[in-house]
Amino acid sequence: MSGTGTHQLSISINGRHENFDVEPRSTLAELLREQAGLTGTKIGCEQGSCGACTILFDGEQVRSCLMFAVQAADSEVWTIEGLASPPPENQTSPTPLAGLPELAEAFKRNHALQCGFCTPGMLIAGTLIGEACGGAINEERVKEGLSGNICRCTGYQGIVQSVVEVFELKTSNPAGEKPQ
Amino acid sequence: MTGSNETFKEVLRFEDDALLNGSRRFIDDLEPRGTLHIAMARSPVAHARLASIDIAKSSSMPGVHTVLTGEDISRHSTPTPIGWEHIADQRRTESLAMATSTVRYVGHIVAAVVAETRAIAEDAVDAIEIDYDLLPAVMDVDAARETNAPILHSSWPDNVLATDQQTSGDGRSALKSAHTIVDLELDIGRAFGCPLETRGVIADWGLQNQAGSQRSGSVGRLIVDLNSQSPNRVREVLSQVLGVSVSDLLVRVPAIGGGFGAKANYYGEEIITCIASKVCGRPVKYIEDRSESFVATSHARDAKMSVSIGADGDGSIVAFRSDVVGTLGGEVSSVGMGPIWVSTRAGTGSYQIPNADITTTGVMTNRTPFGSFRGWGSPIANFAIERAIDALADRLSIDPIDLRLKNMVRPEQMPFQNGLGWRLDSGDYPEALRRTLKSVTQAGWFDEVTDATSNGRFVGIGLVNFIEATGVGNSRKMGRLPMEQGGFDEAVVRMDSTGTVQVFTGQTGMGQGIETTLAQVCATALGANVNDVRVVFGDTDSCPYTGYGTGGCRTAPVAASSVMLASQDLQGQVLEMAASLLNLDEAELTISNSAVSGPTGEKVTFADIGTAAYRKLNRLPDHHSPTLQARYVWDPVDRTIGYGSIAVMVEVCADTGLVSVLRYHAVDDCGYVINPAIVDGQVMGGFVQVLGSTLMEELRYDEDGNPLTTTFRDYLVPLAGDVPEMTVEHMETLPPDVPSGSKGVGEAGTMAAMSAIAQAVEHALPGGYGWIRSIPLSPELLLHHIDAATP
Ligand code: FES
Ligand code: FES
Repeated sequence: MSGTGTHQLSISINGRHENFDVEPRSTLAELLREQAGLTGTKIGCEQGSCGACTILFDGEQVRSCLMFAVQAADSEVWTIEGLASPPPENQTSPTPLAGLPELAEAFKRNHALQCGFCTPGMLIAGTLIGEACGGAINEERVKEGLSGNICRCTGYQGIVQSVVEVFELKTSNPAGEKPQ
Repeated sequence: MTGSNETFKEVLRFEDDALLNGSRRFIDDLEPRGTLHIAMARSPVAHARLASIDIAKSSSMPGVHTVLTGEDISRHSTPTPIGWEHIADQRRTESLAMATSTVRYVGHIVAAVVAETRAIAEDAVDAIEIDYDLLPAVMDVDAARETNAPILHSSWPDNVLATDQQTSGDGRSALKSAHTIVDLELDIGRAFGCPLETRGVIADWGLQNQAGSQRSGSVGRLIVDLNSQSPNRVREVLSQVLGVSVSDLLVRVPAIGGGFGAKANYYGEEIITCIASKVCGRPVKYIEDRSESFVATSHARDAKMSVSIGADGDGSIVAFRSDVVGTLGGEVSSVGMGPIWVSTRAGTGSYQIPNADITTTGVMTNRTPFGSFRGWGSPIANFAIERAIDALADRLSIDPIDLRLKNMVRPEQMPFQNGLGWRLDSGDYPEALRRTLKSVTQAGWFDEVTDATSNGRFVGIGLVNFIEATGVGNSRKMGRLPMEQGGFDEAVVRMDSTGTVQVFTGQTGMGQGIETTLAQVCATALGANVNDVRVVFGDTDSCPYTGYGTGGCRTAPVAASSVMLASQDLQGQVLEMAASLLNLDEAELTISNSAVSGPTGEKVTFADIGTAAYRKLNRLPDHHSPTLQARYVWDPVDRTIGYGSIAVMVEVCADTGLVSVLRYHAVDDCGYVINPAIVDGQVMGGFVQVLGSTLMEELRYDEDGNPLTTTFRDYLVPLAGDVPEMTVEHMETLPPDVPSGSKGVGEAGTMAAMSAIAQAVEHALPGGYGWIRSIPLSPELLLHHIDAATP
């Protein structure tokens, strides 16, 4: 399509500033997946109901299918690619959600993923809940916090268990040392 | 085959790392350069004649490449064959992938637009002008079978796709003489697999790649990427309807975001997308959107059953009858009425019942086509027999567990012919029930119920049994049915020059962990370290032929058997070379952890052997031929039947009638457990899916055939807060005819969920057993029951 009607915007994605030309009706999920090539953010419904497209947007959990790309101008966005992998050398700002890689390890231990389609959203939502709960984490709070994320495969048990396990450990032992 | 594989039992999944960091590619993550996008125009009405289609405005919109109608589809393809056309006199629709003159459900494809972007294609879909001459919608099986009912397929005399009947002993006539007879009318709602990833396909039918196809006059090789559970089946169907040789078609499967049977069926969108690519000369991509998925992905379950059970006064069951009527859709899906028909084989479940008579009938209605969903028809069959036994227990005032124990097939009767065509091959069914009871008793479930009841809460426990037919075969037996489908599985195992092993399988991974389990099986049989084994699937050029695909729980009994036998063959080749390299006799060698050792510490690694086999042949005597590769085709002797018992604890809210499941425990016997975490994950995940369709999920229509459930806000799938604490316990009876020693388990969790929850709700409430007759459970019904039963 012609450039008329597209908007230019700049977004910081996974710690790097990038410029995009976007159609007014493009969603942020489309921008991330199609223009930025970050396909780790999944589309399960485009209706705001499944949580597969969850990203970190200016520090908050956001469903990227519900947000227009133009609304993301000058924001700071983190996707699973940036959050789960060790930072590249040229990354300018520190990676948020420091607990996420550890939660990913717990997912693996607890068989908290099968097809993995819900997993990026679950990891981001799960880490935010874990961090928000602080010392007061328990299964009920995690289940409630994950009530916007659908998993069709696992039955959730391993997911909930992983969040509780990782963030219980973190708060009881902030230095992250393994208990004896 | 137990033994050294215990070493690998607890191995973590090889699939996980790339899924956890978002790097694994699913279908919508792929897009070849120059890809166009296709959007489907779907009928907004349930039943109508297509009076006219005007595509002029749509075709002339900027960015639109072509608009396809039924006429184009009929020029480029032949009617879609039905894979499960296995019942004598099963009728045919001869329908194409797109409606040509009549639409038969909301969502039926009437046209398709190919455009530069999906957004343009969707806009252009809205610009197509279609006139429909409305016909009366036939929405349920009773209306569809009335004498003057509108006929959906005009060449048929009525709306019945097929009827099948199976009897044993004296059939239903044995009921008459029974001491006690109980009759039940049961009704199961419509649900579907609903994977979190919707369906998608990319077809690239250009002039590329293949000189051969030019010779045969076609436009070039057709490459199809899609998220199907059965790539070889798709390849054959596309070959047939598009008139391309199988070899001129390459089907590839990327990571799949859940299948649950919904992706085992093949669909019209796949055919239409291929034709679109042919017409446009560019790759074309179709991604189903969520709303479409509720009308376009196969629906399932939906059946009415009229059931009778007869017993002696002491509770010995003498006869069982079930008339099952399945609510099919407006067109026939790739599995025909297979899921309904299963009741004729599975009907008597875990029990020995000398006389049975089961009839199944598939009736067309103006709903979305009916197809596969995890469990196929077995959860329905389970509901019929388990409900009947509960109602009988109530009538005879016998404890439901005692009544079950009295009538279950006993271990000494194995293998047991159930009289309906299935051989229950192995296991100790009553022990599974006793163990379940013991485990939940020890875990304090009954004390918890007593406490809760004394506090005025409605809490109860349900305990039921199931069987699960897995690994369907044998290919020759299947071939004698009027269907073209085998049940064998081919595996190729190859060691490379670095000693790394690739297992090529025709199975498909969709979350169930085959890249891990098949690697475990190969490593064990070969003597490799499991980390040195890679599993390759989902490419019909490089991977072997497995016609059936991944469905009906085939990986553990069938694919694992072929992988194991091929790996043993490869082990023989490796040992032979090792003997030559070490100058020792083969009998002196041991093989483990990717190395071969002699009696006094002599050793060659798989890497040494691989180097010799590919790059330094001079190290080997002349009689060795280069390379290391083995192939095996395993054709199952018969199905192998998994089984088990489950217990659930539920609470019914006295104010709302809503049911929560508080606890779940399963005792499952799927033979040898290759990877406990993966097996438990299958059992629990399957249970939660059917917990959904028992308590909250239902695909509903209004009387005109408009779907009422088209988003996750109307079709409620279980969320984290809806699931109970779940535990799984195993028995491991090795089936006699399965080399891998394993039975399938992917559907086990689905089998008994409806039955167990229904029984638990009855246990929680006053009024005895057997009165719950319909699924999903209606809170209104439960409130009404509570009102009527409490003074
Ligand atoms: S894709 Fe955004 S919430 Fe489902
Ligand atoms: S792992 Fe498949 S949807 Fe969650």
